[in-house]
Amino acid sequence: MPAILTADGVGKSYGSGSARMPIIEGLTLSIAKGEFVSLVGPSGCGKTTLLMCLSGLLAPSDGAVSFKGQVVDQPPIGLSVVFQDYSRSLLPWKTNLDNVLFGMRRVQGMDARAKRARAEEILAAVGLTGFTDHYPWQVSGGMQQRVAIARGIASQSELLLLDEPLAAVDAQTRADMQDLLLDVAQRFKQTCVLVTHDVEEAVYMANRVLVLGPRPTRVVREVVVDLPMPRDQLTTREAPGFLHARHEVLALIRGMRQGQKLS
Amino acid sequence: MTAAVVAERLRVPICAALVLGTWQIVFLSGAVPEKYFPSILSIATAFWQMLADGSVLTAWAQTFGRALIGLVGAAVLGITLAILSDLSPVLSRGFRYVSDVLQPIPPAAFVPMAVFMLGLGAKLYAFVIILVTVWPPYLNGVAALSGVGAVQLNTGRMFGLSNWGLLWRIKLPAALPEIFTGIRYAATISLIAVIVSEMLAGRDGIGFMIFKKAFALRTPEVFGLMFLVGLNGVLLNGLVNLLRRAVTGWHLRMMERPE
Repeated sequence: MPAILTADGVGKSYGSGSARMPIIEGLTLSIAKGEFVSLVGPSGCGKTTLLMCLSGLLAPSDGAVSFKGQVVDQPPIGLSVVFQDYSRSLLPWKTNLDNVLFGMRRVQGMDARAKRARAEEILAAVGLTGFTDHYPWQVSGGMQQRVAIARGIASQSELLLLDEPLAAVDAQTRADMQDLLLDVAQRFKQTCVLVTHDVEEAVYMANRVLVLGPRPTRVVREVVVDLPMPRDQLTTREAPGFLHARHEVLALIRGMRQGQKLS
Repeated sequence: MTAAVVAERLRVPICAALVLGTWQIVFLSGAVPEKYFPSILSIATAFWQMLADGSVLTAWAQTFGRALIGLVGAAVLGITLAILSDLSPVLSRGFRYVSDVLQPIPPAAFVPMAVFMLGLGAKLYAFVIILVTVWPPYLNGVAALSGVGAVQLNTGRMFGLSNWGLLWRIKLPAALPEIFTGIRYAATISLIAVIVSEMLAGRDGIGFMIFKKAFALRTPEVFGLMFLVGLNGVLLNGLVNLLRRAVTGWHLRMMERPE
C-alpha cells in the first residue's frame, strides 16, 4: 500500500534563543492507505502538537509533512481532524445536519440536494437518524462526537486524524464508540491516525501502534498489532496478540515515565 | 388552582395595584404638597387630554424614532469598530483609548458643543445619541470576537475557511449573543440620550415636552410623560428581543435548556 501521509524529520519548537522549547524533534513516520495507526506516548509528550502539524493547522519548524505526495502547508482537502473537545468543535448555531454540511463546503461535483442526502446517509451510519435536526447541545456527548466524526467523513475525507476523540465520553459509551469508529472507518474507507493516552484503546483499535518518546518527541518504537479485523471487545482483548502488544507498549511508556522522574 | 398559581397568573395586575396603591397612599397622606405629587386620577386625566389633542402622540413618535435610529446607528458602528479592532491590534488599542475617555462623559455634557458644531436638529441627535450609545455593542463585540475559541477557529480552518471566512462564518455568529447583550444595554442608554438632548436642545419630542410642562408646573402632565418614557423603554427592549430571538434564537434556547 502506498503512503498517504508521511512526516519527514519534523520538528516543532516554541520560542527562540534560550527560551526555545522543542516539542517535537526529528520525527519521521509513514502511514499507509487503509491503515489504522495509534500514536501513544507519555503525558505531555506533544501528541496534540504533532497532530496539529500533521493536519496542516500548525506549521512545523523543521522537516515536512506530505499528504498524498503533496507538502502540507495548510489543511488539505481529504484530511480532517476530529478534536477531543467536540462541544467546542461543533458549531452550536447549526443543527447536526448543518454541521455535517459545513464539513462538506469544499466538496465538489454535488448539488445541495446530493450533499444533503450524503450527509444524512453518513449521520445514519453513525446512528444518528432522527437527530439530524437537533442542535449539538441537545444531544449527549457521545452523540456530539459522532456528529463530529460524521462531519469529518463527509468532507470527502480519506484520512481522519483523531485527537483523543473518546477522552471526554464515559467508559461504556467509549467501548461502543471504539467499535463504531472501526466500523465507519472501514465502511467509508478512512485511513485513521488515532492519538490517545489510553494504551488499551491504542492497541484495540490499531493495526500498528507508534510509541512516542518524551518531549521533544519522536517515534521510538513501532508495535505491530497482529490481530484480525473486525475487533471484538471481549475476544480481542483476551487474545495473546493483544496482551503481548499491550505489554510491550505499557512497558515502554512506564520506562519513560520512570526515566522522567529520575532526571 | 393553588394560591401560588393564582399569584403567578395575576402578577402584572398585583404589581400594578401595589405601585398605584402606594402612590395613592402617599398622595392621601399629604406628606408631599399636591402641586408636586398629584393623584393617580389627575395624572391619568392629564395624560388622556394630551392623548386626545394629539400632541403627545407626535412627540412620542419623534422621540421613539430618534432613539431607534440612534440605536441602529450605534449598533452598526459599534459592531464595525469591533470587527476592525479584531482585525488590527493597532486599531484595537487606539479605539480602546478613545472609548476609555469618551465613555464616562454623560450625554448632557456633549449637548452644548454639539449645538455649536451641528446646530439644532437631526444631526445633533444623531451625534449625541450615537456617541454615548456605541460603547456597549463595541466593547461586548471586542470581548466576544477575541473570546472565540481556538478549537472553533481550527475547525473552520480545517474546512478551508480563509481569514474573512473565519470572521463571517465562525467569529461573528459565535459573538452575536454577547453583542446582543450590549445592544440591549445600549437601547436604554439611547432613550436616556434622546430625552436629555430634547430637554437641553430640542424643539419637540417628549423630553422637550417634559421640560416645558415642568417649568409651567404642570405636574400631572410631567408624570404622565415620564410614564410614557418608561413605556418607550419596554417597547424598545421588546423590539431588540424580537430581533435577538430571530438572529440568535439558538443561543437563548441553549441557555434555557434543562440540564
